[in-house]
Amino acid sequence: MITLDRHFVIVPNDYNEAGKASSELKRTLKRMGFSRDLIKRVSVASYEAEINIVIHSLGGTADFKIIDDVIYLQFIDCGPGIPDIELAMQEGFSTANEVSRLNGFGAGMGLKNIKKAADDMILVSDCNGTVLKLKFYIREDDKNVG
Amino acid sequence: MKLSQIVHKFGCTVYTKDLYDPEKTIDFAFCSDLMSDALMIMSTVKDGETLRDSVLITGLTTNQSIRTAEMLDVEVVLLVRGKIPAEPVIELARESGIVLLGTNLTMFNVSGLMYQEGIQGISLHK
Repeated sequence: MITLDRHFVIVPNDYNEAGKASSELKRTLKRMGFSRDLIKRVSVASYEAEINIVIHSLGGTADFKIIDDVIYLQFIDCGPGIPDIELAMQEGFSTANEVSRLNGFGAGMGLKNIKKAADDMILVSDCNGTVLKLKFYIREDDKNVG
Repeated sequence: MKLSQIVHKFGCTVYTKDLYDPEKTIDFAFCSDLMSDALMIMSTVKDGETLRDSVLITGLTTNQSIRTAEMLDVEVVLLVRGKIPAEPVIELARESGIVLLGTNLTMFNVSGLMYQEGIQGISLHK
């Protein structure tokens, strides 16, 4: 059964709005009564992914779904893509510019942090854009806590 | 430390007065201007109580310090070096339930003073 289905447009370089989709996701998950640990893992991964689109891409979208006992997050952007995914996954590697650093990002920890938070992660990228799919399993002790 | 002690000892301005609970206890802190670092380190803390009793000390006065605290379940953000947040940032803090404070002290000095008072730093939990 689908219990959540939300779609957000993410605007590039808009640091005022950056994180809004993830904030809404977090508040929704809280209302749904999931455990704090699950909510934090999902929120942190979502926020990092959303910020990545704001910083690095030409814009994109975020889709959040809950189907049965799985939370699915999907982030798609319009490019320019990640030239070397293996390098981008390395702790400390970043191509972020000065503006994003002034906004507190660009330490090169984002993708690694996302991978750590999610139960499953698929990242596909070419010059047309990047697709990031994340899965979080809702365990019995994550339900009806809040 | 109680939040009221922090406000009093470090001469803090309280930007979100309606959310301010003088009795709230602060036992832990993390300081950084890089929200990536705060997310990386603080998200490894498994115990939710620890994060709720933490303060994020930063010189970053943008929305992102508030969003980062919200994602991590950290309820207090302390801005250093006398930086004044813009009204939309204060509004976002209110909306997100984050107590926003400001002090004229530098990040190093306020962190050192808090450490002296027994507040522990948050480090990477593997």
